Amino acid sequence: MSTSATEPEAADLVCQLDNVQGMVDALTSVRWKRHQDAVVELSEHGIVLIVEESRCLQAKVYLQRELFVRYGYSAQGRPRFGVSLGLFVDCLNTFSVPGHSSTIEIQYPGPDMQLLLKSLDSANACIYAEIRTRIPDMVSWDYNFEPAGSTPLSFTVKSSALKEAIDDLEWPGSSIQITLQPVPPSVTFRGDGHGNLQIDFKYYVNTDLLVAFHCDHQVSYRYKYKFLHATTSNIPASVIKDNRGSKLTIGRGGMLKVQHLVSVARPSISHSHVDSAGYQQPSRIAYIEFFVKPEEDEATGNDS
Amino acid sequence: MKFKAFLTDNGVSLLEKRFLPALDKMGRICHLYLTREHTIFLHNLLNGDGIQSIAQFRKEALFDDYRISSQNDDRIAFAIDLSLLHRALRSVITICAEFSGSHAGSGGASTTNRLQIKLVKKLPPHSQQPMPFLTFETKGYKSAVIQDVPISKPLSRSDVLELQAALDMAQDLPRTLVQVPDMNQLQNFVDRMKHVGDLINVSITKYGDLHLQISTTLITLGAEFRKLSVIGEQAEVPVGDRDLSAQSRTQRAIQRGDAMTVQVNVKHFAKSLQCHLAKPDCAFYGIGPQGACLTVIFQFFIPGTRQADKSISLHCRLPILDPGSN
Repeated sequence: MSTSATEPEAADLVCQLDNVQGMVDALTSVRWKRHQDAVVELSEHGIVLIVEESRCLQAKVYLQRELFVRYGYSAQGRPRFGVSLGLFVDCLNTFSVPGHSSTIEIQYPGPDMQLLLKSLDSANACIYAEIRTRIPDMVSWDYNFEPAGSTPLSFTVKSSALKEAIDDLEWPGSSIQITLQPVPPSVTFRGDGHGNLQIDFKYYVNTDLLVAFHCDHQVSYRYKYKFLHATTSNIPASVIKDNRGSKLTIGRGGMLKVQHLVSVARPSISHSHVDSAGYQQPSRIAYIEFFVKPEEDEATGNDS
Repeated sequence: MKFKAFLTDNGVSLLEKRFLPALDKMGRICHLYLTREHTIFLHNLLNGDGIQSIAQFRKEALFDDYRISSQNDDRIAFAIDLSLLHRALRSVITICAEFSGSHAGSGGASTTNRLQIKLVKKLPPHSQQPMPFLTFETKGYKSAVIQDVPISKPLSRSDVLELQAALDMAQDLPRTLVQVPDMNQLQNFVDRMKHVGDLINVSITKYGDLHLQISTTLITLGAEFRKLSVIGEQAEVPVGDRDLSAQSRTQRAIQRGDAMTVQVNVKHFAKSLQCHLAKPDCAFYGIGPQGACLTVIFQFFIPGTRQADKSISLHCRLPILDPGSN
């Protein structure tokens, strides 16, 4: 019955993390509604958490093994389990003490296939949790994201500007058209409905906002606002503060990929000289990816 | 029925900065119970199944020139809205400060703008019926400012007796009390824990362990604090128990009769931690006899010492939802 009864050696995974808040931030960024089921996949490379909605929106959080202080993996194959994302995040959040860096140990599976968490900071105070897992009922939608042509169609925009633009596009209507054109190099977000709103990012005008731009022919696709909104709605404050870029890529068939980087670095007070480019050890970054399917009903989605 | 007193500077700062903000979190309405020697703020003693809180001051801690008389053994009790009381006190203090500022040069200002508090009956505007008020009065050089805080009709003799009986009942001490290590940290933790479930199990051992746990069908989340200072009955930790998990250690302590567990509403528990707004110097949790309630006792030191200030006391009693298997 007790947690210590399991031999840690028998577990598929025993890992330790020294920045719980970073993990909370990373997982929160894919939490777009209250009740979400997530699938967690373990491997020797790290932990991947996947959430999706109505086969139109999928998000993945990659926590590579380099983020962990210790990563003991001893499973055959790749264990997968289902867990309530909200519960997992709320639970992890209790381990995060503001102003302290707290170290936790994560173990899977427990004696009853639970996910086990415990704090390692002090001998006289211990926080522990056992989260019930499920056999994952969804086969995650494994979309093979392929580039649309020989050169990728992508742009990188400051995360805060992207969030602001998408937030502003809420009022005109339920679908948003994204257009990339090579001459002059620019990205346009357009919402039509009760009214219309168009937001242009022009490469030569706002080089500080639109950090990178690759496009050799004009493309235009429409996406449901609520899915587009989900890609930035819970972006953690730390990402907005660091204000690195978020990368958007349009793949074959108009599939939109949105990537954010979330820092899971140990908060250090003495070395807070993150330089202007927001450079941090690449190994201490969690990668967040969203895949959004385009709307198919209209013939607007096309390459020209 | 008469009550009239002057609030001292210390009394003003105790109430305005510390106790009223803390007590307001317990519930907006409370009973104010005045006796010959004490002023007591009481929450949920007569009614309701909410968290009970009792803040008691000796009259010298708040007032000087304290006069009270009633036909009920000089005891008066009424219900009052704490946020209104707080507002009135704050506004009176600002005015007081202005007066003393403008009189700084003239001397004797401190004696002229004393803050008087008294019970009155007045005819409120558009009403035929006189209503009771607790009135604050500051007399300045040229003007006087009066703040009337509406209160309930004073409690009847039998209600006051009932209140006194409930107060006497609420004085029983748990046999074992453990000291909370860091109120702020614990509050932070419990505030986050609240999202996970509604009921919290609290276990206290004679070894000085405080074990909190929320358990639902989907999750068990807990925290164990060990080697805390103990007041009252204590015991040595059995040697074999040191390396067990928190849950099994608590289980064994209960079987041995060295611990008690109760279940309370996590919202009540979080509320009880809000009392640290009153800036106590330390806090102790304990489980009442037969698991009747979870008690938290706050201690205040005489400023500049480590000695408990006997003139101020604050404690809360949390209703038990499940007496556990003690």
